[in-house]
Amino acid sequence: MIEIFKSFVTFISAISIPLFILVFLGWGVYKKVKVYEVFVEGAKDGFNTAVKIIPYLVAMLFAIGVFRASGAMDVVVAVLSPVTNLIGMPAEVLPLGLLRPLSGSGSMGLMTELMKTNGPDSFIGVLASTMFGSSETTFYILAVYFGSVGIKNTRHALPAGLIADLFGMLGAVFITRVLFSL
Amino acid sequence: MLNHVWISLLLIGIFTAVGRDINDEVQNTYRNGLPVTAHFESVQQTASVNPSFEGEIVISAAAFNQFYNISSAVKEIRHPATLTTLTSGKQKLELKISDSSPLFWKEMAKAAGGKEKLEADVRSYNAGTGECVFAMEKVSYVKIKAVTKAALDFADTAVTISLGLIGVMALWLGIMKVGEAAGLLELLTRLMTPVTRRLFPDVPPNHPAVGAMIMNIAANMFGLNNAATPMGLKAMEELNKLNPKAGTATNAMCTFLVVNTAGLTLIPATAIAIRAGLGSADPGMIIGTSIFGAGCATVSGLIAVKLLQRLPKYKREMEVTEPEAKND
Repeated sequence: MIEIFKSFVTFISAISIPLFILVFLGWGVYKKVKVYEVFVEGAKDGFNTAVKIIPYLVAMLFAIGVFRASGAMDVVVAVLSPVTNLIGMPAEVLPLGLLRPLSGSGSMGLMTELMKTNGPDSFIGVLASTMFGSSETTFYILAVYFGSVGIKNTRHALPAGLIADLFGMLGAVFITRVLFSL
Repeated sequence: MLNHVWISLLLIGIFTAVGRDINDEVQNTYRNGLPVTAHFESVQQTASVNPSFEGEIVISAAAFNQFYNISSAVKEIRHPATLTTLTSGKQKLELKISDSSPLFWKEMAKAAGGKEKLEADVRSYNAGTGECVFAMEKVSYVKIKAVTKAALDFADTAVTISLGLIGVMALWLGIMKVGEAAGLLELLTRLMTPVTRRLFPDVPPNHPAVGAMIMNIAANMFGLNNAATPMGLKAMEELNKLNPKAGTATNAMCTFLVVNTAGLTLIPATAIAIRAGLGSADPGMIIGTSIFGAGCATVSGLIAVKLLQRLPKYKREMEVTEPEAKND
């Protein structure tokens, strides 16, 4: 069952981009759109959008970089680990949970490290990869998406995003524990 | 909230770095200027002008741990080293730091300016017995230096990432524009109206923003990351056209953002690839657990975003101020 699902999704992922281009541009030709001219018109915005993101991403990444380099994470882990021990989350994966919303490459490195030391099929290995797979880099997405349209006041997007990250992490702990107790 | 989180990250970072460095200085964590006794086992002489010996520095784990007051070393340390006699008659020890070096020395090398070697002054060396007393080079202000480096490096990284988006962004925005001109986005939008009307009540059901959001979510589901971002940014641009207050996120924008940060994907390709690389017996076993985790994240995020938008604080931020107050 899971194999069929996997090959189905892999198939879709592989053909979707060419298919997408074909359908969109083909439909454009069918509707008598001057495809080349319109494409170039739209592509023009690519540069501006990317440049508009720069200040937001600089602000976000440099703050995260300073926080990580200072080793403050160890302090936060020490404070939080008694709480996470209560819900059956091993202390080793707590830094991953904290880092996941902050840094994509950082949390990827941490996940790899955890799987190397504990084995990819161990409880910690499965939990770490599940935690990595069940969330996104909230701060990065916030900076890029809101930055592209000049949003400075993000209102409730960050608290809601962090609540989502928290429950994603708890969900990962719960399902991995269930899986390993079977 | 972002303001507070942002400044907290910076302040906590800087204060922690200063605090740790003061602590290191007081405790002399890196044993600056203190000599350690070890054995140097010479293998071969390489240069004849300045006599230089390749060999290994040997320290027992217990002595190493005791010297640095740590517990990370478990077995006897045998580290490649070069012993050089300078023209002044002084002897110098050079340790090439590699992946197999003791963790503590790796950290010291990183702190000493990111070099791949550590230098030490030899206080005494007895070629007969091999006994070698040396003091490592001075290492200080480790965390403050690291913080400074990170601040500069990450500012650079941010620009690299942003500029790296230009190509894919242009490609997808071009294709999307054709789809828009051909009315394909509208068609997609109409199909999904029952769902999107509930999630984004402020967005007119046939608005192009809806089509872009649907395509972004679909691209995320199938793990097409480089297509998902341009589509998401297109959606943001369209949502911003409905924004009565420039520079402030609307409810629809926040909802859309949360769906993205929850990151629901059918195949967590990165994690699976790394698992496979590390020799997992079943790399794909996390597909189900990840969908469950991301599902929890998505549902709780949507509930949170819908509840939070009712708070008076966030409602007030959305109120449009008098036109004369606009002075930008």
